[in-house]
Amino acid sequence: MTDHLSPGFLTALADGELSADQLALVNEHLAGCPSCTSSALHQSLLKSATAKAGQRYTPPPHLQERLMRLASQTSSQPDASTLRVAHLSPSRPSWRLGWAAAAAMLLVSLSLVLLQRADRRTENASAEQAALVTEVFDQHIATLAASLPPQVLSTDRHTVKPWFQGKIPFSFNLPESLPRDTTLDGANLTYLHSQPVAQLLFSIGRHRVSVFLRQNPGVGTDKPIAEHSGFLVMEFTSGGLEGFLISDVDPARLGELAIAIAQAQSGDQKQSK
Amino acid sequence: MPLLPSLYNVAFWLSRNAADAEDLVQETFLKALRGFAAFEPGSNFKAWIFRILRNTYLTSRAGLAARRTVALEDELWDGNDTGAALHPESAIDRETPEMNLIRLGDRAALQSAMEMLPAPLLEMILLCDVEEMKYREIATVLEIPIGTVMSRIARARAALREALQSTMTPGKEFRV
Repeated sequence: MTDHLSPGFLTALADGELSADQLALVNEHLAGCPSCTSSALHQSLLKSATAKAGQRYTPPPHLQERLMRLASQTSSQPDASTLRVAHLSPSRPSWRLGWAAAAAMLLVSLSLVLLQRADRRTENASAEQAALVTEVFDQHIATLAASLPPQVLSTDRHTVKPWFQGKIPFSFNLPESLPRDTTLDGANLTYLHSQPVAQLLFSIGRHRVSVFLRQNPGVGTDKPIAEHSGFLVMEFTSGGLEGFLISDVDPARLGELAIAIAQAQSGDQKQSK
Repeated sequence: MPLLPSLYNVAFWLSRNAADAEDLVQETFLKALRGFAAFEPGSNFKAWIFRILRNTYLTSRAGLAARRTVALEDELWDGNDTGAALHPESAIDRETPEMNLIRLGDRAALQSAMEMLPAPLLEMILLCDVEEMKYREIATVLEIPIGTVMSRIARARAALREALQSTMTPGKEFRV
């Protein structure tokens, strides 16, 4: 190792994340390199100081009390809308059950999970689906937050579709006509669960929509809309593809776009070639 | 709730005010309760709940604003560089911000420097140094590869060094 240690190695050294082989190499280098030894020392000192300085804020007592109330409400009224109303309401002395109630509730929940081991396969599938929805959500939020234009910026489906040739291991169709007030804005190549997917970007009025298309061997059935942090996520499978639509637009209008795209995959509608 | 102090501390650092931090922790708590059945017993509870906190933050007003202002360029820190940037003259610099910090024990200066970091870099410092999470746990929380965790931490520490230098001007005396 003749060059200086990279920032990554110095970072991993300070964090104790080097493998035994890597550590041996690094130690050998440090023995003959005062500069890297100094840098490594600085990294460790900075990490130590940051750990102390970062412990800065402590939760106020009223937050703990509020969380206790919410825990008790959750155990008796698990409806989300009820919880939101309760959050805005003044405190009630009768709900002061203490952390023991919250802990007990968690234990009960844990017990139920253990008892439901027989249904674990189904639950795992649901958890996987939930993770996928979360990933779709994160990708959509990242797209909204980014100020960058789409990788392919075009309202022409004959431009967008060919752009993916050689980039994804499948092909897809775009509907010839879109629902009212809906426009194609462009597309990105992105990844879901480490698989390349096409992210098609639409606008419905002023609402932005992301449509993620990926390979799926399943037979097409429309699935219900899920809500994730105020955004609607709709899933469909059609023509060997699985699609996820996400937006904060009205569900009916999102559904119209989902149907149009799903039909384009199955050939029930005129498509782009 | 053993993790409440940690959650609140990180929430306050990210949201930068008490009211938003409380809302963030409360929303995290509610989501954790609702989704507890999906938690796999035996897996990492801390990483699980911090992931909820982080995703909740990203969808908050403060989180969206933070995303708009920072573009992470992880490819610039792929770990294959030779470290030349840290060693411009292959010399030992004994007046680095960290050494000044340790010598003077100025906790406030470090906290000010941390406040200057953009949220995506600050969260790396918080998870790695303050919460003492392993790279594997951080990768779970942030849903990124471990290699990216390493490069982002390196970048975060470099940014912290720069921020420290800007807060600790030559000749300035700090309270011990």
